[in-house]
Amino acid sequence: MNHQNAQNVFMIGWEYPPHNSGGLGVACAGLTTALSQKKSNITFTLPYQHNKTVNHMQLLACHDPAWSEPGTTQTLQPPFLAYSHTSAQSSSITEELDGFKLRALPHSELERKVNEYAIRVTAGALAGKDFGVIHAHDWMAFPAGMQLKQKTGKPLVTHVHSTEYDRAALSTGSHFITNTEFEGMQMADKVIAVSYYTKRLLIDRYGIDSHKVEVVYNGVDPLSSNPERTRSFASKRPVIAFMGRLTLQKGVEYFIAVARRVLEQIPDALFVVAGSGDMYHELLFKTAEAGVSASVLFSGFVRDTQKEKLLSRADVFLMPSVSEPFGLVAVEAAQRNIPVIVSTNAGASEVLPHSIAVDFWDVHKMADAVVSILSDETVASGITTGQQADIAKVTWDNAATRVQEVYRKAFIGAP
Amino acid sequence: MASVCLYFQLHQPYRLRDYSVFDVGDHQSAYFKDTTDSNKLIFQKVAHKSYVPMLKLLLQLLRKHPEFRISLSASGVFLEQAKEYAPEVLKLLRQLAKTHRVEFLAETYYHSLSVLYSPEEFKQQVAQHQQLIKTLFDQTPIVFRNTELIYSNDIATEVSELGYVGMLTEAVDRYLGDRKRTQVYRSHNQTPLPLLLKHAQLSDDIAFRFSDRNWHWFPLGVDRYLDWLSVYSENELINLFMDFETFGEHQWADTGIFEFFATFVERFLEKDWNHFVTPGAVLTSASKKVAKLPVYDVPEPISWADVDRDLTAWVDNPLQKDTLLQLYKLESAIKAKKDVQLLADWRRLQTSDHFYYMCTKWAADGDVHAYFSPYEDPYEAYRRYSIVLADIKERLLE
Repeated sequence: MNHQNAQNVFMIGWEYPPHNSGGLGVACAGLTTALSQKKSNITFTLPYQHNKTVNHMQLLACHDPAWSEPGTTQTLQPPFLAYSHTSAQSSSITEELDGFKLRALPHSELERKVNEYAIRVTAGALAGKDFGVIHAHDWMAFPAGMQLKQKTGKPLVTHVHSTEYDRAALSTGSHFITNTEFEGMQMADKVIAVSYYTKRLLIDRYGIDSHKVEVVYNGVDPLSSNPERTRSFASKRPVIAFMGRLTLQKGVEYFIAVARRVLEQIPDALFVVAGSGDMYHELLFKTAEAGVSASVLFSGFVRDTQKEKLLSRADVFLMPSVSEPFGLVAVEAAQRNIPVIVSTNAGASEVLPHSIAVDFWDVHKMADAVVSILSDETVASGITTGQQADIAKVTWDNAATRVQEVYRKAFIGAP
Repeated sequence: MASVCLYFQLHQPYRLRDYSVFDVGDHQSAYFKDTTDSNKLIFQKVAHKSYVPMLKLLLQLLRKHPEFRISLSASGVFLEQAKEYAPEVLKLLRQLAKTHRVEFLAETYYHSLSVLYSPEEFKQQVAQHQQLIKTLFDQTPIVFRNTELIYSNDIATEVSELGYVGMLTEAVDRYLGDRKRTQVYRSHNQTPLPLLLKHAQLSDDIAFRFSDRNWHWFPLGVDRYLDWLSVYSENELINLFMDFETFGEHQWADTGIFEFFATFVERFLEKDWNHFVTPGAVLTSASKKVAKLPVYDVPEPISWADVDRDLTAWVDNPLQKDTLLQLYKLESAIKAKKDVQLLADWRRLQTSDHFYYMCTKWAADGDVHAYFSPYEDPYEAYRRYSIVLADIKERLLE
């Protein structure tokens, strides 16, 4: 038995920062960096040519020339986006095919693209050097992982960052995607779930054997400097922030309902909805219907400077997700000393035990929590102090240690 | 042939810049001035295409034809922008005023919907406008035209309290029935006011259909148009009410709109029995026998906009209704603050165009709304507007 071989990982990805850095890309970057520091040798596939230098692993572009940017032979983006959001993108391909539109594509087309990727990944893997473990991230990579396992007999680890049930806000989404997820997990030697919330969902909804599913929490990159609370805008009123895609999954309508209740008690409160998505217009109407047009503002999609501006200003961060496998942004908010109120249906509530966890539908309780944080400084500071202790454990190093354990179990066939 | 009463509306709103959530509370940020100064650019573009050439043409016609007369209404926000961005426009307007054959009408300074939300604010804006017209043109308006010709029995009561001799509004079939729109009516209220009703058909033939290649009568010649006018008898009154920008902006110069208008005026005046009249003259004489006038009973507000001729261009969907509600809810706090700039900003936010841009009834009128909107869609109009409202609230907290 060659344990050393489990250090050689063939990893099948879909997106990688800076492109399409939705949750999946960011997680892959954090995890592979930490794994390589722990001596894992990683080959990482992408369905496009990544044009930035990556030193900690070998990138392998596995793409169909037909996916090229119009008028070029280059493919700089995935042929469609898994579920990251689009307004940050410029490519015509990605604008046409964002996560939710993607899920509405005909099954035949999805199937064709994912299968094409599988064929190219397999060819790339067989032409390359030896590896001990296959690690596939989310359903777009599962067919490739399965094909490769069949060809090589190497153990397969499937990593679930998000399921179709999450994206469909716990109703039935695309049957093709659900089925691909199921098959990938069935064939896998080990399944990694990003939270116990997700593990339960995999057991309950997909019928996956609980012994096969290991929970590995994502990490978060530490801040380069101490978080500073700045009142760079709206300095005269409390600010409550939402950040995420404007979709059913994220529970934005509950945020608006909470706003309405809080405003009855704190009329000056300002609620900021940061993000874009297919519920945008509907949410504007809901805001106006609730009579809170001057108190619930939509910033559009934010990143970098604006994201930091909002996080450094917010007095409360609210994540009322209907179903959230992890919820990195809640952890990022906790890092910046914002009291977090998070849905019990979110993995982040598990890594932030000092945050306030509330059922996403319990608008009264969420509103009460907002009011208590805003009206009592000791409540707020109690939460943020506790959260600092919580996030100390949320590191990519811890995640990588756990993932290597999973590789070893997969490699030796341990349950 | 009947008499013709011309009224052209001059108005430009202060459009909002892309005010960001992250600008809330930033005192250096102005709501209406973006980096490219779009309001200035738009005003200068329209001045070049429409205001200047048409005002010059009107001046020529007035000088050449002593019988020619017209009425204009210019919003306060239009005149402010003219002064700042295109002084030539203001100069020409002053020259027109000096002929004493151009009547300026009264309206709300901010081209607002205030009469629907705050009678107090309405009166203040009308007074502010009255003052401006007096200062600029040495005229005291005696006839009132409300924003977008919005009118109802209740509005007539408000206006009669202000002492005007009469009002202009739209002839809407559901209230007028099959009665003539070519006579003077009176309002249905305690203190009746004489009313002039727009002749939509003949006005819109010029304002909207003139350059429409799919229109049966395209291209419209002056002979044909005079034929249409000639069916009316001598004691009838044809009210041609339209946007001033019809000339040169909605209908570009290359459609022949300027030549059409000049020829129309000359040919119309060739006949001794034809007259141009102004609202002030007609309504003053009508007010002396107001009890004898037929009643125009309008229980629900009407306007000259869209096919509906009601308020739904501005007050229809929740986006419009709530922003209006939130805006006017601030009135007493704004006024208590006694901050001139804050008050002016709040009032500029009352301009009806902001709500017009939020209209989502994408039926027959959708493309008209889209044509006039500076924003990509009604949602963006609402999004920006609500951020600015939040900023106004922030200023109240100081």
